[in-house]
Amino acid sequence: MNQLKEFSAELPGQDLKFLGSTPYVYHCHHFNLFHDQTVEDALGEEEGFLIRSRAAQSAVWQLLSDLVAKAGASTPAERLQLAAAVFPWMGQGRLELLAGAEGGNVRGDHLHYSFAWREKYGARVRRRFPVDAFAAGFAAAATEVAFSLPPGALASREQSCFACRQPACGFELGRQDVPSQAEPVNREVFLRHIRQPSEGLEEGRIAEIATGLNEFLLGVDGDERGLVQGFGIFITRHLPGYYDQTAYDTIHHIEKHAPQATPAVEELFGESGHVCAFYTIGNILLSPEWEAMVGTLRGDVEEIVTSSVAITRALGFGHWTVDELEPDRRLVMRSSSNYESPFYFERYGLSEKPRCYFFANASRAIMQLAHRVDWASRPELTEDLYLSLFKADLKWRVEETRCCSKGDDVCEVVVTKG
Amino acid sequence: MTPEHLAKAVEDIPSLRAVFVTAMPDCLLFGSWLHAESDWDEEQVATYFGDLFRANREGLKALGSWSSEMQVTIEAPDHLIILHELTADFVCACVFERGAALGMVRLHTRRLLQRISDSLPSFEAEQRPRGVRVMEFLNRYAPDPHAVLLRVSLRTRLSMDELNEPQKLTDEQIALVEQTACGILGLQTLNI
Repeated sequence: MNQLKEFSAELPGQDLKFLGSTPYVYHCHHFNLFHDQTVEDALGEEEGFLIRSRAAQSAVWQLLSDLVAKAGASTPAERLQLAAAVFPWMGQGRLELLAGAEGGNVRGDHLHYSFAWREKYGARVRRRFPVDAFAAGFAAAATEVAFSLPPGALASREQSCFACRQPACGFELGRQDVPSQAEPVNREVFLRHIRQPSEGLEEGRIAEIATGLNEFLLGVDGDERGLVQGFGIFITRHLPGYYDQTAYDTIHHIEKHAPQATPAVEELFGESGHVCAFYTIGNILLSPEWEAMVGTLRGDVEEIVTSSVAITRALGFGHWTVDELEPDRRLVMRSSSNYESPFYFERYGLSEKPRCYFFANASRAIMQLAHRVDWASRPELTEDLYLSLFKADLKWRVEETRCCSKGDDVCEVVVTKG
Repeated sequence: MTPEHLAKAVEDIPSLRAVFVTAMPDCLLFGSWLHAESDWDEEQVATYFGDLFRANREGLKALGSWSSEMQVTIEAPDHLIILHELTADFVCACVFERGAALGMVRLHTRRLLQRISDSLPSFEAEQRPRGVRVMEFLNRYAPDPHAVLLRVSLRTRLSMDELNEPQKLTDEQIALVEQTACGILGLQTLNI
């Protein structure tokens, strides 16, 4: 674990985090489940699982290849040990990697996705299809890297899943034809695509809080289950490459094959931004750790907006700034760096429309939280409160007016009262 | 059925705390009376009791022991609840204080149900379009209800405009929405 902390670094001034040269961010189980659910809704269970596990496999292969080189892990056993340590460091649970170069079996316990799915939805929905696509891809990539196989040499299938009320998760790995491997979207790529960081309102306060939170988050370790539980949520250190590839491949598929459903898929991926802001940012704001580090919340709009932006920076979402804020009227946020547009531009080229679905909708959600939640009363962030804020009473409109993936010099979103 | 009808029907019935009349099969509140000290959410209670009664009826039918005269008695810690089918279209739930004697409760319930039955409308309950009922069922039971319409749109490829007017969906579209509802809820079939 200590070795992983040594490999973890920031890009100065840009609020991006890297493990080795692979970017990572913090996201909670509410966000992760909603994101994966949208992919599944759009593509179906089988295809959705395949797209997600392949995206995971690709991103994890890059991550682990880089880490084993940095750690000097040269034997399969050393490499598997390293992979088995990375997985719980990410808050993904525990994997017992038992496969060889020709494939084999992998067992998963307390896997983030299935464990959290059972916790969140298990009492209401009977799930019939496995949910651990990320773990499936991770297991395949870890085995490939351990045995010096090219990316995509192994296919992984989840045969039993805790979310489907089976006692544990099990995967079967087997050889497959090697598909072409996309170029990694790593630190070098981000350096090419991000812009000069700028300063927004309350920059000193935001930067100071973000620094303190950064140090706190770096010290957070997984528990004996390999899960990271804190602030009332399950937190993961996750790979933007996974989120970006699955989201954009899904949106492109819908744009091409079912354009009438494009607004729905874009809105659902945007909804993930609401989910993240409410559960992750909201729970951090209300945590004892926040009170100890920053002080008691007053709950005014300026405080909540700037505090939320500080949290987004600490979570590795990029250098978000508050450029205009008129309470009850308007918010303008910009980002010189985030985890969406660099990936889009690198993988898919110039876009005809803005592509920062998460940045835009998280900004809208921050405005809603700042105006509609009585923070001073320290409310419990329940599903009912979420529904009252984001189903019945969302009065803010958001537009991404500039986006680096369209060739603009910065990503900018404008939130106005609708 | 007006509130005045119900208020008159419950006159002189001791220990009665509430009456809920639920329109079936949609499980929507048709009429209710609450004791002055009760502050229950009438629509919610009527819906859940409607669902409970329907599940009970289907279960008994599966056992081959259903009768239109059956009633469900629930002995909760604070209340004694009796559910009875008034007609094929209406179910009535009577909530008594827990301490009331069961024999007296049954006697009062029989009289009360007769009074309520007499004031029920004689027309046939309107059968609302199946598409509407499927969407209502989803809104009530699907996880992430704020996003359920978008999810159905994405899964069925039907536009939001089409889904916002479920009464206009074609049979083929309804079948698609129903199949999607089963997928979202993890059900094999949708018995509505």
